Amino acid sequence: MWENRCKVAISGVGYSTVSRSADIPLAAHALEAVKGAVADSGLEMSDIDGLSTYPELPATGHAEVDGISVVSVNCMMAMLKLPNLTWHIQVGTANIGGAVQQATNALLAGVCKYVVVWRAMHNPKGTYQNLPGAHAHGAAQFTAPFGFGGPGQGMAVAYTRWLERHNQDREKMATLAVTQRRHTQHNPHAYFHGTPLTKEDYLASRMVAYPFCLFDCDIPVQGAVAVVMTLADRAEDLKPKPAYLAGYGQRLHFETAGRIGSLSSYMEGGSSSSQLTWERSGFSPKDVDVAQIYDGFSASVIYGLESYGFCGEGEALDFIQDGRMELDGELPLNTFGGSLGTGRIHGLWHIIEGALQASGRAGSRQVKNANVSFVGASAPIVTGTTFIFVGDPY
Amino acid sequence: MSDWSQAKRPIPVPDQWTQPFWDSAKREALKLQRCQDCGHFQHPPYPTCVNCMSIDMKFEPVGGAGHIYAYTIMYHDGDKRFAGAIPYASIIVELDDAPGALMAGNLLDAPYTEAKVGRRVEMIFERLNDDITLPQFRLADTDPTE
Repeated sequence: MWENRCKVAISGVGYSTVSRSADIPLAAHALEAVKGAVADSGLEMSDIDGLSTYPELPATGHAEVDGISVVSVNCMMAMLKLPNLTWHIQVGTANIGGAVQQATNALLAGVCKYVVVWRAMHNPKGTYQNLPGAHAHGAAQFTAPFGFGGPGQGMAVAYTRWLERHNQDREKMATLAVTQRRHTQHNPHAYFHGTPLTKEDYLASRMVAYPFCLFDCDIPVQGAVAVVMTLADRAEDLKPKPAYLAGYGQRLHFETAGRIGSLSSYMEGGSSSSQLTWERSGFSPKDVDVAQIYDGFSASVIYGLESYGFCGEGEALDFIQDGRMELDGELPLNTFGGSLGTGRIHGLWHIIEGALQASGRAGSRQVKNANVSFVGASAPIVTGTTFIFVGDPY
Repeated sequence: MSDWSQAKRPIPVPDQWTQPFWDSAKREALKLQRCQDCGHFQHPPYPTCVNCMSIDMKFEPVGGAGHIYAYTIMYHDGDKRFAGAIPYASIIVELDDAPGALMAGNLLDAPYTEAKVGRRVEMIFERLNDDITLPQFRLADTDPTE
């Protein structure tokens, strides 16, 4: 087990409004989320001495403008003017999970005391994957000429392979979409709060990239979420009950650029990351009380459940049936609604929910007696970070 | 059938390291990148052999027989270059001669509903301009998997 297990905790969490289009600049969303997280902790902004984020805009063909379409560490520094700032980073791989892990390492190294981590996501005007080019450069020279334009198709090809090799039925995914949407109704910050979804809606929805229909894809939104992280002993002096970080992992495999469709790459990415998290925390899948698994596309949950070891290969669509992922089920899953419910804010919201469930702060969606709270914060082969939070340090 | 005449395919821009692939496609005798130390084929090309860490890479001929490793059928018109061709099948093919190398392509000369994982295909060539010919795929006449 990891000698640093339960030495770092997530304390406060914060949210901006989440909307379809930008009526205020993205930096204002990020600021709202960061202020919320600091206030939730009961801290003053001047207490914050560390900043960490992953600022990438996943849309293509749109300008990255700091404060408008991304919110970098530099932008946050300019807004907050922190008098006691001692450390900052923005990570290049591993998405926002990597930013949380780097914040953990900085806290353990003693170079800062209270870090805020935020993820701000922009929804550009027009087509999200804007691909007007008459030419295809780099890795795209081998994919774009055949109509592989965005990440959706890259995920979809692996999903057809999964479905047909395992003789499975995509209609079973309706359970995931509908159950997560029901969970969303307990999350007032989510984009789809107040908008129910039925199995019939799912089955009747338009196809986007087969096997993905509209409700297999998270909706692009404008918004931000944030957390305050600190060492466990400091977190215990703050207002909220801490969520202790028991272990984390990163995927240790990656796909070469332009090579798409390999299911084994998803499995290797997810299993390598979760193996580190299981070993460091000392837990195994059967110990988990509640799980958040990244769902930018629904099939990521399938690859996650299987590669993290919650069920065998080819079994995940059956695993989520029969009430197993309900709030009172055997493995309550994406209890905040997932990205399919909140809108596309990447994995920090999964991490927030993992922390809230561990510390008993999830309100009407709280899983009873939850202690061991697992998070797969991004697609297993893409950025592949995993976490376990607990409410009872050990 | 997808109406490919309506697709405005982006033209691949070869670089120094991918030029041999496109040269071979233009001659309609495809070559893929192969490690000269361990024999591993890889596609798309990569700076080094990801199997054995060798840097001794060359392009070698491969046969055109293979199977559909994975596929998607595109219905969304977000990529305006292909909006006129939807729905269409974008496929990933593993060639018999180059296991593990995954080539993107389209299923041509057949309804897009014929795309299935494991179905036998053969390579054909689609000329885009004087410089660039795309390796593409159609269903193989015989299907030994059936």
